[in-house]
Amino acid sequence: MKAEKLAEWVEHASGGQGLAQSDQGPRFPTTRDERWRYTRAGAIVGRPMRPVATAGQAPDSRPLPCLDAWRLVFVDGHFDSANSTLPDAGDLAEGVFIGPVSEGSKRFPEQASQWGHGHFSKTEWFAALQSSSAQDGACILVPAHLDLSSRPILIEHHLSGPGIVSHPRNILHIQQGAKAEILLWTSSDAHADGLVNLALDARVEADAELKLEYVQDEQGRNAHISHLAITQLEGSRLDMHTATARAHWLRNDVRIEQAGERGVSNFNGCFAAAEDEFVDHHTHVDHAQPDGRSAELYKGLALAGGKAVFNGKIVVHPNAQRIEAFQKNSNILLERGSTVYAKPELEIYADDVRCSHGCTTGQFDEDALFYLRSRGLTRPAAKRLLTQAFLSEALNGARAEVQAHVEAVMLTRINPA
Amino acid sequence: MLKIKNLHARVEGQEILCGLSLEMGSGEVHAIMGPNGSGKSTLASILAGRDTYEITEGSIEFMGVDLLALDATERAVAGVFIAFQYPVEIPGVSNMNFLRTSINSIRDQKGEEPMPAKDFLAKVKQCAKLVELDGKLRDRSVNEGFSGGEKKRNEVFQLAMLEPLLAVLDETDSGLDIDALRIVSSGVNALRSAERSFLIITHYQRLLDHIVPDRVHVLAGGRIVRSGDKSLALELEDKGYDWINEELAQ
Ligand SMILES: Nc1ncnc2c1ncn2[C@@H]1O[C@H](COP(=O)(O)OP(=O)(O)OP(=O)(O)O)[C@@H](O)[C@H]1O
Ligand SMILES: [Mg+2]
Repeated sequence: MKAEKLAEWVEHASGGQGLAQSDQGPRFPTTRDERWRYTRAGAIVGRPMRPVATAGQAPDSRPLPCLDAWRLVFVDGHFDSANSTLPDAGDLAEGVFIGPVSEGSKRFPEQASQWGHGHFSKTEWFAALQSSSAQDGACILVPAHLDLSSRPILIEHHLSGPGIVSHPRNILHIQQGAKAEILLWTSSDAHADGLVNLALDARVEADAELKLEYVQDEQGRNAHISHLAITQLEGSRLDMHTATARAHWLRNDVRIEQAGERGVSNFNGCFAAAEDEFVDHHTHVDHAQPDGRSAELYKGLALAGGKAVFNGKIVVHPNAQRIEAFQKNSNILLERGSTVYAKPELEIYADDVRCSHGCTTGQFDEDALFYLRSRGLTRPAAKRLLTQAFLSEALNGARAEVQAHVEAVMLTRINPA
Repeated sequence: MLKIKNLHARVEGQEILCGLSLEMGSGEVHAIMGPNGSGKSTLASILAGRDTYEITEGSIEFMGVDLLALDATERAVAGVFIAFQYPVEIPGVSNMNFLRTSINSIRDQKGEEPMPAKDFLAKVKQCAKLVELDGKLRDRSVNEGFSGGEKKRNEVFQLAMLEPLLAVLDETDSGLDIDALRIVSSGVNALRSAERSFLIITHYQRLLDHIVPDRVHVLAGGRIVRSGDKSLALELEDKGYDWINEELAQ
């Protein structure tokens, strides 16, 4: 990609903001960069796209319509208050905020000055673009010792049509000893072909708990890059599920930093790449302090012509003793001509550490398939049952509505033959 | 109901069945005995429709249809059931979900309505009682972490649920303790009927004390080398297989 062409694309895609400190900042990723070895971002910047000044059409219905939740809806990076369901300010305890960043930053200017732009904006080109072009997103502030988990908060980001890029910015701040359950949901219109370039910065303070579910269910042929940076302080807990139920071209970057002692991070993911689709999950957990635990399970499926990437990095810093870190990744190639690149990366600089990882990529067990067929299941039904079983392990612990939705979308979509 | 004629089968270039013939009538119980590696499980797999075996000659007719023309699923729908010697573990698929899917899949292929949930549960209860299958095992993943004996019991539980016309039991007795052997055999006896036939592969007479066969066959070197009534099993128990080999050599 020529520098002038890229600059021209950036000019449009950033809505005239350009890239902050473009000279010293991160370079545009190519397959020569280890973190982008299998991921061709060049195609994205080959198509012109712009952020829109006013939001397009919101989808007709809300995801998980039966779920009793506070709902924040954003379309093309703009807050859609008409479709959102929010508490009245007076109904919430002092210091709680559930609303758009645009409003939260005005109501809580002191806190807002500390929000910053997350880990990735300094290391990743698309995240730098996101931060210089940041649009609206959800802001959830939970003050110390408040348990907000009785009602989940569903954040929906929708991309409404062709030629549009959105740069949503989401801020979660769970203060000491507080609890929250948050669902992040992305969708796109069938005609969307631009880019969702989303950032989420979460700070989970001492002894706080965050349950985070992230569902990506996009109908369009748009690209999607997520930058999720989660910082955990001492004794905090994160339970996270990520499901790429449907996406045309997607890259998820997750970084969890255990910046305090005794952090607990459980994070699972599942994804499927059908024909002509690309899904890339990069995860990175940083054990910077002692006595932390992390457990990670990612499961991937690929069909003919589908390509998926999993890269799971675990870093245990010197002096971060007595860490337990587990990682498991299994992938199934459902048909010939499907590809999964899987790579665990362990960097351990402390000596008293329990760390394990397992990574397998294969096909369905022919013996299991035959056993099911010998009991009257057709081959597709047998594969379906095995697929469901395969996914269920990664979805275990997510709320039932999320599990049901993700399974239903994935099973109908991949419909293995 | 079952006519196997001059069956030849090979795997990886090696001929395992060489001219096996066997006939069974409806409601009959036949036992197959024979040395290790003689081809008994191969016969069971071929009846089930496993395509790793290449049939080079011969035919199998089941209820008047060419069984070899059906795939594994279609055979199950037609009423063939194999209780496998080594049942497969399927993590993540609950026994109940598996059985419900199985029963309704068979019904669907026969053009029948799915079994109502209430009837299904009643049937589960009744069949589990028949083989005294622990309630906990019903809710676990298919065979996952089951003991050898529990797996065998689960096979017979499935047999009872699916009500096949032909049930092949491949060494269902091995791995069962003395009580379990009695329970499972009385379960099988309860399932005997004028329409349902059983082909019982075993090494031991003790199972045949409980489930009394109409015919006993000896499979050796890929063929049925001798058939007789239940006394043949006793004779084998007494003398082993050498005398048959010797007689054959003459
Ligand atoms: N898939 C296969 N690949 C290679 N050889 C096979 C295969 N299946 C069976 N065989 C061989 O065929 C022969 C018959 O095996 P089979 O399992 O049918 O014996 P069996 O009579 O059931 O023995 P046992 O009493 O030990 O259960 C054996 O020599 C076995 O090694
Ligand atoms: Mg055998």
